[in-house]
Amino acid sequence: MTQATLKAQSSVTAGEPGLRLRDVRKSFGSVAALQPTSFDVPAGTLCSLLGPSGCGKTTTLRIVAGFELPDAGQVLIRGEDRTYDPPQRRKLGMVFQNYSLFPHMTVAQNVAFGLRMARVNRAETEARTRRMLDIVHLPQHADRYPHQLSGGQQQRVALARSLVTEPSMLLLDEPLGALDKNLREQMQFEIRQLQREIGITTLLVTHDQEEALTMSDMIVVMDRGRILQAGSPTEVYEHPRTRFVSEFLGTSNIIACTVAGVEGGGLRLRLPGDAGSGFFVADAPARPAGSTALVAIRPEHLRIAPATQAGADEPRATVSGHVFRGAAHVFQLKRPGLDRPLMAYRQITGPVGETVLPVGAEVGLSWLPGTARLLEDEPVREGAA
Amino acid sequence: MTATASWRRLERRLPILLLLAFVLIFFAFLLAPIVFVVLVSFGDSEIIAFPVTSYSLRWYHRLLEYRPLLDSLWFSLKLAGASAVLAALFGVPAALALARSRSGLADLVSTVLLAPLSIPMILLGIALLYKLSAIGLGISFTSLLIAHTVVSIPYVVRTVVAVYRGIGRNYEEAAAILGASRRQTFTYVTLPLIGSGIFSGMLFAVLISLDNLSLSLFFGSAQTNTLPVVMLSYLQNQFDPAIAAIGTVQMIIALVALLLIERTVGLKFMSSPS
Amino acid sequence: MTAAAATAIRRSRRALGAGLWPVLPAMIFLLLFFLLPLAENGLQSLYVPDAAGEPVFSLDYYVRLFTDGYYLGVLGRTIWVSLLATIICILIGYPVAFFMVRHAGRWNGLMIFLLVAPLLTSIIMRTFGWNVILARNGVLNSTLMSLGLIERPLRLLQDPSAVIIGLVHVLVPFMVISIAAVLKGIDTRLEEAAELLGASRWRTFREITLPLSLDGIATGAIVVFMLANGSFLTMLLLGGGSVVTLPLLIYQQFLLVQNLGFAAAMGNVLLVLAVISLFLQLRLIRRDGGAS
Repeated sequence: MTQATLKAQSSVTAGEPGLRLRDVRKSFGSVAALQPTSFDVPAGTLCSLLGPSGCGKTTTLRIVAGFELPDAGQVLIRGEDRTYDPPQRRKLGMVFQNYSLFPHMTVAQNVAFGLRMARVNRAETEARTRRMLDIVHLPQHADRYPHQLSGGQQQRVALARSLVTEPSMLLLDEPLGALDKNLREQMQFEIRQLQREIGITTLLVTHDQEEALTMSDMIVVMDRGRILQAGSPTEVYEHPRTRFVSEFLGTSNIIACTVAGVEGGGLRLRLPGDAGSGFFVADAPARPAGSTALVAIRPEHLRIAPATQAGADEPRATVSGHVFRGAAHVFQLKRPGLDRPLMAYRQITGPVGETVLPVGAEVGLSWLPGTARLLEDEPVREGAA
Repeated sequence: MTATASWRRLERRLPILLLLAFVLIFFAFLLAPIVFVVLVSFGDSEIIAFPVTSYSLRWYHRLLEYRPLLDSLWFSLKLAGASAVLAALFGVPAALALARSRSGLADLVSTVLLAPLSIPMILLGIALLYKLSAIGLGISFTSLLIAHTVVSIPYVVRTVVAVYRGIGRNYEEAAAILGASRRQTFTYVTLPLIGSGIFSGMLFAVLISLDNLSLSLFFGSAQTNTLPVVMLSYLQNQFDPAIAAIGTVQMIIALVALLLIERTVGLKFMSSPS
Repeated sequence: MTAAAATAIRRSRRALGAGLWPVLPAMIFLLLFFLLPLAENGLQSLYVPDAAGEPVFSLDYYVRLFTDGYYLGVLGRTIWVSLLATIICILIGYPVAFFMVRHAGRWNGLMIFLLVAPLLTSIIMRTFGWNVILARNGVLNSTLMSLGLIERPLRLLQDPSAVIIGLVHVLVPFMVISIAAVLKGIDTRLEEAAELLGASRWRTFREITLPLSLDGIATGAIVVFMLANGSFLTMLLLGGGSVVTLPLLIYQQFLLVQNLGFAAAMGNVLLVLAVISLFLQLRLIRRDGGAS
């Protein structure tokens, strides 16, 4: 069997989502770990559950795996109700946070374990194990023990072990958390490539927004046991609905603006302390003039120019700090009426020595229409990130 | 390096050197009695005197002539082995359940299972003698076996709980998701992983049992004399190096057992459950 | 059967599987042969034979234990000897544990082995070893005499100090292991931080290391105290009647006088000491559990 046939084996009944959660709910004692939660993962795609620790993402994964029983709701894998099936019968593959490779078995024995449990005959077990090790580029390590491997190699063995049984779904529980940065980036690509080749529905749990953005077809952002937003990486990054989502995925300038008026399906807003004509946000529901509206602008979208070159209408700010971060200059800006300084990135295009705006300089602020996002109001949270 | 530099270097290291000296004296203190007993056991003289002037194996020959010492060693080994096996049968399932339990009852249960460690053996001996005599077991191998099992259970439970907790839940979950049934998970994953824990728990139990005078004292008879009981009575009647010889034999048996275990499963669990 | 009912059954079966039933055999065994005998032993000590030899309920044994000067002396000596042994074990054990954790490096394994090795030998053998060393014509006396430091052999055996040496020798490994376990858990960066802040090494030890390792000392102290309380072999073989403690008295009552009731009563007093220690130990473990 080649990779192509692996792919054919796990191709899915058309139309059915690979995974469907319907109003799944879970509490531990008096603590609600998961509010009623529903989402679909289209067959063959990779979906990330993203959120800080304690947000309910791990609980969700463990319910899908069958390690926890939900208090209510349904888990459907390829259209079949698996809510109360024990993990053994779910035919899943899973890569654990620390890989959980059996320390008393060799690499080959680890990979073959699932086939042995399924009573696949010996010749086929050996053949499939060998092929799987080829796929993850570890054929020469078959007889080593896990502790003799590097972190990245262990990661690959774990992946091989979880895929060799041709599971209906792959679960990844923070699979890259234990690797250093370079290896992590490399593995992100490798896993993603393999997942695409096999076409396996995959659920990835992570708290690393970069990982989620790199690897997923779909991101589900969670916090305090609820889903805040689900969508494609670009959608969630470019159109965060709430302040939490906006701040959790990358850096964001969150500014409490004043509504100046309603204008043809959008709103005209003013920065605090700005008496000018303000700026326009399209596709926003009407709000009463004078009320407050939260706006998010990514630092890479905030443009700054020396006040002398800036348009007269542009709001002003003062440079209060500057650091050099390799690919960009990062400026910290102060403006009366804002309680937090603004961040702005300026991509470095020329030689690194190019003149930068000195601390104390006055600058004009501007951004392209459409890059300032209106956020939905959300209840006040304690200790928001 | 200048003279002052090396002097200052020494000055900084002085506290550690003093500490090292202390530690060396400590180990001399710890090992001295054992070393001297072994020396005495190979001595040739009738009385125990130092320095040992000539060496011989006469006290080991004496062991072969005076049967009670070797007989009781054999009896003790059987007793220790049997009680360790019984303790494992009782203790391992209990330890596995306790290690993973979230129930509040688990605290109480583990307190009871570990309590025999904290009870003065001499009291337990008296109490068990009463009880076992009352139910007709009296002074017998069975009574000794029961008494030694009571004391062995905590060693097995403690070691297995520690090892099982240490390996965490993930391996078993990984097995489950790969399609292993509960039984397969236990056979192929759990048991191999805790095997060394069971083994070292049992070894602990055997060593403690071999040396348990206070408990065995109450069940002594011509047929049921354990090694420490016989050694004590021998020591109270004679003061000759035969006792050193039998002690050395017992130590060698323990060392060999330990080496075997080191070869098979490793010793790392011996020191951890403190 | 409806799907919901089947589901409910499956759920409850899985919930039960996580239960505690595998502890039952061990619990029943210990109930029968540990808790019950101890309880009955407690009752036994409350029945004293009257003039006709019939057992009648009485606190006689306990009254005797707590009013008779001799028995009070034995009780006091039991506690005092155990305390003294515990304190000496702390003083000797702490530096050794400290060295083992901080400076032993690759010798650490050997040190653990040497600490545990004596446990492989019979306690009688070890006690006999002290006999060999401390006897009139023993190692110590012959060495001192051949060095010309003394003219006649010293009387070292049958003496309370021999008992203390024997006890410390048997029990100090437990203290070292308890303290080392806690020391290992202390982040050395805390000590480095203190030294960078200008604390001398001694002050760093006193104000950082020592307070953080108190738990290990306490655990070790309880274990050592408890074991010292229950031992009689050392007193019997090295004390030669000069140090009579409760366990030794129990041994004598049992073997010589055959007064089981009185032996049971003394055993219960010993039990109370053990239970207090056990309680302290549990509190310590709970506190550890809460902190981590």
